[in-house]
Amino acid sequence: MAAEGAVKAALQVAQALETIVSGCVGPEGRQVLCTKPTGEVLLSRDGGRLLAALHLEHPLARVMVACISSHLRKTGDGAKTFIIFLCHLLRGLEAVADKEKDSLISKNIQTHGRYWKTCCRWKFISQALLTFQTQILDCVVDRYLRRHFLSIFSSPTKERSLCRSSFKLLLEAYFGGRVGRNNHSFISQLMCDYFFKCMACESGLEEAFELVDDCFGELSVGVTGLPVSDSRILAGLVLHRDFSVYCPAGGDIRTALVTETIQPLFTTSGSEFILNSEAQFQTSQLWIMERTKAIMKSLQNHNVKLLLSSVKQPDLVIYYAELNGVSVVECLSSEEISLIQRITGLSPLVLPQASSQYEISSTALVKFYKPLVLRSKRYVHLGLISTCSFIPHCIVLCGPVQGLVEQHEAALHGAFKMLRQLFKDLDLSYLTQTSDQNYVPSPLIYKNRESNQLADTVNGSIQRPHQDPVEKNEGELAKTHTYLKVYSNSVVPSVELETHIFRSTPKVTPAGTQQTDEALRCLSANKTRIMDDHDLFIDGDPTTESTAENTRIEASYENVSITKMGGKGSMLPVRCKSLEMGTSQSYCFSSISAGCVLPVGGHFEILLHYYLLNYVKKCQQSEAIMVGTIIANALLGIPKILYKSKRGNQSFPQVYVRALHTLQTNQPMVGSQTGLESVSGKYQLLTSVLQCLAKIVTIDLVISIKRQPQEVYDQESEEEL
Amino acid sequence: MALNGTEVDDFSWEPPTEAETKVLQARRERQNRISSLMGDYLLRGYRMLGDTCADCGTILLQNKQRQIYCVACQELDSDVDKDNPALNAQAALSQAREHQLASAPDLPSGTRPAPQPPVPRPEHCEGAAAGLKAAQGPAPPAGPPNADVMASTREALLQKLAWASAELGSSASLEASIQLCGLIRACAEALQSLQQLQH
Repeated sequence: MAAEGAVKAALQVAQALETIVSGCVGPEGRQVLCTKPTGEVLLSRDGGRLLAALHLEHPLARVMVACISSHLRKTGDGAKTFIIFLCHLLRGLEAVADKEKDSLISKNIQTHGRYWKTCCRWKFISQALLTFQTQILDCVVDRYLRRHFLSIFSSPTKERSLCRSSFKLLLEAYFGGRVGRNNHSFISQLMCDYFFKCMACESGLEEAFELVDDCFGELSVGVTGLPVSDSRILAGLVLHRDFSVYCPAGGDIRTALVTETIQPLFTTSGSEFILNSEAQFQTSQLWIMERTKAIMKSLQNHNVKLLLSSVKQPDLVIYYAELNGVSVVECLSSEEISLIQRITGLSPLVLPQASSQYEISSTALVKFYKPLVLRSKRYVHLGLISTCSFIPHCIVLCGPVQGLVEQHEAALHGAFKMLRQLFKDLDLSYLTQTSDQNYVPSPLIYKNRESNQLADTVNGSIQRPHQDPVEKNEGELAKTHTYLKVYSNSVVPSVELETHIFRSTPKVTPAGTQQTDEALRCLSANKTRIMDDHDLFIDGDPTTESTAENTRIEASYENVSITKMGGKGSMLPVRCKSLEMGTSQSYCFSSISAGCVLPVGGHFEILLHYYLLNYVKKCQQSEAIMVGTIIANALLGIPKILYKSKRGNQSFPQVYVRALHTLQTNQPMVGSQTGLESVSGKYQLLTSVLQCLAKIVTIDLVISIKRQPQEVYDQESEEEL
Repeated sequence: MALNGTEVDDFSWEPPTEAETKVLQARRERQNRISSLMGDYLLRGYRMLGDTCADCGTILLQNKQRQIYCVACQELDSDVDKDNPALNAQAALSQAREHQLASAPDLPSGTRPAPQPPVPRPEHCEGAAAGLKAAQGPAPPAGPPNADVMASTREALLQKLAWASAELGSSASLEASIQLCGLIRACAEALQSLQQLQH
């Protein structure tokens, strides 16, 4: 059957890829030597590089590698784990399919009907996987795993400061699995130093991370021919160009950015320039010369000693620049220009058209500029004064060969991506079954900034209840209708929601059961509005334990405003009533807060495996049980490989049994290896793998074509993978 | 585990028998070997194609000289061949025994149609023939006895008997000996029935 064939073929491909990456995963992993189809040799431990270097024409292999590449672009970590996990999941699915096949074959069904039955079954499995990923995974991670999380911040309060030692452990674990053993401690130390030099204050971290992530190519310089230990960090920016004119200067130095030639042209494009005589030509040239001279003079008057140009300036400009003592750097790449703009807030100079105005408006202060010689190439070393939270520093990466330099650069870039994800809160949301009377809500904490998913899709306005025993001042809330739709991960079908929005009055009595009675009835909207997230949601402490606490919220929309009144855990339980079912479910919002880490060595996998199996035991739906069991068993594949080489007390069965014992007796888990890994990274990896698997499983047919199909706008074109 | 709701009968699934477990284990090991070989070749610069081998279903590889290569067929022994009774003596014996065990209460009265084998390898032919003979059991002769036919049959039987006894003398394996004894018995019985026909 074609659909089964997809899983079988995918399993073959995944197994072949798994044998390649399993040798280099983990701190004990070795380098893998790969011959690229061009004949070059690649020696690496980096999963993403290895997979990209393989010559794969099989469509399923290309799908997998594409999924991994896009995952790496976002998170910077987990290519090898991705393949291993995917392989184990496919094995689990195939085992289930084999069992099912026997019972299917025994039935006396027509072949055609059986084919469609198989296809539908795989679609069903794919849907079950996605439902699991959006619902159960979030629930398990939020409720059970949360108590095991550690933090790289030294205190969980708002004024949190980074704990240096934990940060170092995190980076060492990251680089230990990626860079060769002889270099990894040096590189992780380099990265640590760079981080602390660049990130001045803790508040603007996100912006700084974004900048570094986007412009990492410009912030690092690769030098071949020197040992790796010669790598260092330089303050300021290193431009990959040399000075066209260099006039050293001191004191108050300003710089200007130009994106066009200073010398005016004879004519602009699109217009005609008519010359009638030689004299006219001479006059035009003279005018151009005078103009250039005047502009350069005015630059000097404004103390602009350095001109950064993205285009090549003509010789006349260079001549006058030298005369006036202005240094010029030409032909800068657009990425460097945008980096300078982002750091200094400088905008390119707009050259005045009229001859009278020579006001140079946008210039920036620089500390210094000088030529830099690295090996045999010359660069410009620029000391910029930053207006954003990023203090510009540059890494000079040395290595004996170009390949090694590139690998280290990629590893550092990946580390920044990983840190960027770590320092962000990751939202979780799931449905829980609640009974009306004994509703005990878990702490639902909702960050203001991260509430995009709700803010984007929430339309409506709030209706005040008809009977509300708590509401006293009824006249204050606007009487409008509410119709809320919440989408999560685009899989969960939209459900109509009833929101609990509490109006606080001094007379509200704190009681857990009160909340269930204070239900605002939502009716269909006559007019719809976008609800502002900051009006609706409250910032709270994400690391508190779950207790049933009363929420006093002053709800206001238009005339209603929400503020947090009391209690440590603030929550906004949103009651969903799906149209098909009669039972009511509660939509819980939570998050993995920034800085959550776990010890390395398969901790996350073993914990999730244990809690997932526990959850599955209490579950009633058969497809959830099946998917949960497959995933739980597949999760163990990763620690199995990590502990493959260990013997005796440190072998995987021993570790597993010890971990189970500590979990069952509610003791804190002790990690045997030093090193930390980011929880949000692991979680995102899991969701990526499940999404990729869901895609693969629903492939019914692979059609190979010779060429890419042209852009046809009717719906009948065949699709190629 | 029911996925289609009520259509799949959960209770009809039984855990695999020991033989099946062994087969599964062998198949898994074979798959692992194939995967590691394929991984090696990929690292050497071979290209993983989108096609599968017609014989064994493994993904094909292509080297830089554009030659297509199937890891399983050209490096590992076939997995399926050893289970085919027409191509392997062991498989024939096990099939024979299974048939005998299954039909122990009621003896075969008529000839049972032998499974049609694909092109057999020459070195397995003898075993195949022996296996088929053992599975079939003694076959009553059909049609009017013809003197030439009888003579040639008798000759063939005697030849087989001689060969079987020679093989039995030199055989070291228990299975082969049992098989050869069965062949000798069958030949003797066939000769007996031939003699009855002649008279």
